[in-house]
Amino acid sequence: MAIHMPILIRRCDAVIKMDLIWLSNYAISFLLILILNFVLPRMMPGDPLHAIYGEEALISMTPEMEAEIIKRFALDQPWHAQLITYITALLSGDLGYSYYYRTGVTDVILGFLPWTLLLTGLAFVISSSAGVILGIESGYRRGSKLDGCMLSGMMFLGGMPDFFIGIVLLLLFGVTLGWAPLGGAVSPYAGHEGIDLVLDIAHHLVLPLISLVLVQIAPTYLLTRNAMLNTLRARFIMTAKATGLGEGAIRYRHAGRNSLLPVVTAMGMRVPNMITGTLFLEIVFSYPGVGTLLNTALSARDYPLIQGVLLIVTVTVLTTNFLVDMTYVRLDPRVRYAR
Amino acid sequence: MLEISGLRARYGEHEVLRGIDLMLEKGDSLAVVGESGAGKTTLGLSIMRLAGARLEGNMVFDGMNLLELSDEEMRRLRGDRMAMVFQNVEDALDPVYTAEEQVCEAIAAHNKWSRERIRERARALLTAVGLDEMRYQLYPHQMSGGERQRVLIAMALANDPDLLILDEPTASLDALTKADIVELLRSATSDRISIIITHDISLASALSKRMAVLYSGMIMEMGRTADLIREPKHPYTRGLLRSFPSMNTTKDLQGIPGRTIPRIGGCPFHPRCTQRIEICAREVPRPEELNGRLIACHRGGIVPLLEIRDVCKFFSSFPAVSHVSLTLYEGETLALVGESGSGKTTLAKIIMGLIEPDSGEILLEGERARWDAGFYRRVQMIFQNPKESISHRLNVLQAVREPLDVQRIGSEEERVARAMKALESAELSTDPEFLRKYPHQLSGGEAQRVAIARALVMHPKLLIADEPTSALDPSVQAKILRLLMDLQERMGLSILFITHDIALARKVSDRIAVMLRGSIVEEGPSGEVLREPAHQYTASLVECASICTRMAWETHVLD
Repeated sequence: MAIHMPILIRRCDAVIKMDLIWLSNYAISFLLILILNFVLPRMMPGDPLHAIYGEEALISMTPEMEAEIIKRFALDQPWHAQLITYITALLSGDLGYSYYYRTGVTDVILGFLPWTLLLTGLAFVISSSAGVILGIESGYRRGSKLDGCMLSGMMFLGGMPDFFIGIVLLLLFGVTLGWAPLGGAVSPYAGHEGIDLVLDIAHHLVLPLISLVLVQIAPTYLLTRNAMLNTLRARFIMTAKATGLGEGAIRYRHAGRNSLLPVVTAMGMRVPNMITGTLFLEIVFSYPGVGTLLNTALSARDYPLIQGVLLIVTVTVLTTNFLVDMTYVRLDPRVRYAR
Repeated sequence: MLEISGLRARYGEHEVLRGIDLMLEKGDSLAVVGESGAGKTTLGLSIMRLAGARLEGNMVFDGMNLLELSDEEMRRLRGDRMAMVFQNVEDALDPVYTAEEQVCEAIAAHNKWSRERIRERARALLTAVGLDEMRYQLYPHQMSGGERQRVLIAMALANDPDLLILDEPTASLDALTKADIVELLRSATSDRISIIITHDISLASALSKRMAVLYSGMIMEMGRTADLIREPKHPYTRGLLRSFPSMNTTKDLQGIPGRTIPRIGGCPFHPRCTQRIEICAREVPRPEELNGRLIACHRGGIVPLLEIRDVCKFFSSFPAVSHVSLTLYEGETLALVGESGSGKTTLAKIIMGLIEPDSGEILLEGERARWDAGFYRRVQMIFQNPKESISHRLNVLQAVREPLDVQRIGSEEERVARAMKALESAELSTDPEFLRKYPHQLSGGEAQRVAIARALVMHPKLLIADEPTSALDPSVQAKILRLLMDLQERMGLSILFITHDIALARKVSDRIAVMLRGSIVEEGPSGEVLREPAHQYTASLVECASICTRMAWETHVLD
């Protein structure tokens, strides 16, 4: 064993080195986003103050407020001082001041973000797992009736725009049948507590969640099914069969597990798409999430708020991608060492 | 213990196996050889019922009819009582699990043991197949082909199966790894029923006691492996052996003409067979057993073309040829080797009917030779000195068509056409200028080719070539010999090759007969005769040839 130790250590070194490179990629992306966020308003023609806050906000501003803002963003300082101020502010969680809500952007976003996270997170988990499981089952039964029905159903769903499904569901279950509330995340002034509050939240969540899941399930399903068809042709499936493994083990432990790899990659890439979907659906269901917030900010031309939302969204996308990458590495040993 | 009868496998309309009968007892090892597409792998998978084809017939394994078992019963047999080792292709193992995990899974599929016990057994198996302990936790992509093959073998042996099917277990391995794996498989296959599916004859001979040659889903020949390799009786088996590079054969590689044509009537091999007759295209041959050898061929295997039975010839009281018996089979080259004056040419002349033997008989295709026109249509001879054997008064075209003129075969146009074709077969020019040339205007190589074309124009079955290349440059000699071997491959020409050059005989002949003072002192497959000469005289001939080569080499090196 002693003789082999140096080899092991060397291999660990290599892995750590690869990890560092990989992490630094994320760091660089993050920095680039920050810099863009910093540079863009300052590159607009005219006064950065105008660029950041917009004409309308400035008209209604008192000179004291204006001076306060200039001081706060160090707009009278050279650019490197501005950058340092910007980064320090960010690090302390200061995304600027929302002129529309008359409070810090961070506070505003934090009030809306949990609902979006709840909706998107749940939709992501449900659509991914359901898509994968349906894809595996459907691919394994290729050519059967079940496979055919699922395939055409999914193609149909996948072709619909997300807000459209949202509107249809809202009209059907909300307006016509009255099974679900028409909007919001909780019943206002109901004073629910404990389990009642949870049920109330779920009641409000169910329609937007279903809409989002229905739209998002199709691509995962199609990709999984396709990956299954390819994996089932691989030789190790025959090896597994010859070993006398049961159907379940072959379907999930071998074929399914291997089909997951491209699906996970695609999941990461689907996150931005999913977030846009959420933004639309939130508006359809007047769900108090970041989408609705962005909508408000856009109509009020509250530029700091818009920027803050965009920054948070990009950071979320980046984080999800990071998590997906981590998952992929756990799933595929070939990437673990080749990364 | 495994009895297969009338096994047929169909993918849709396409019948991949057409009635396989096999009977294997514990301890038996059977190699299934054949070209790709012969149905070898389908046979292996069909026994495991994994082929995905529609199966018919009977497969009785240990008293159970495999075709009647439920899927679940079959699953419980697979990997437990019967196992399969697959080729170590890149994805034969699941890329996301380690070697140990995959072996553990194979054990756990049939045993409800504790994790520790399974792990212990898996590790013991991996050690037994010779995998380094450091490599148990590796993933398939981190292992070499040989290591992956070992893991696949460990998985198959996981539950100590009674029936082990090996599908190309050493393909794509380098020679040294292959030797290791073969060694491992030899011990793994003992005491079970093993079926080795391969196109590698050397692997088949290392691992099997019996061998079955599969072609288009039919067993063409089956028998003891050693016998089959030493003396193939089916034309297809011989073709396979001739195309396989082996350390035991010395003849240059030859292929099998054409390619497998699926879905044809009659004997599946008949379009490629050089000894086919009319019935071959009409009826499927039934396998028949003769002296422990099973052959499916309407002609009973490779037919003897020329039989020399106890021929003697005395010149006054001197025995030029004494008690010579030889058999020459369809499509083979028999080299008659011996020094000058040993009676080789006399024997050739007796066969050609130029000299009357004192006793004994010559049979051509089972009938006594009458040396009539019919005989010379089937037997032709090429002589040592072509310029003397072709009349100097005939130009090339006249010389080549002369045999047709003599035998009055075909019309004027047909004779010219056949002559042209013969010239083309002999790789000669057919332009009018060349056709008008006379022997003295030809080079030695050209003249010999004209002589060959003249012999070929009759479409003979047997060619007696008496020192056909001794007057030629080595480069021309090589081309002429290549030509003869190609003709043999394409048309099944039998050649009696008379030479004193054992090095030459070694490269062109399937069998060698050594002649000394009018008698055949030794006869056998060329590789065998040269490797272990039984007769002192053969040994000295081989020795002389080797000394010449060695001296040439030493001179070269010392320079």
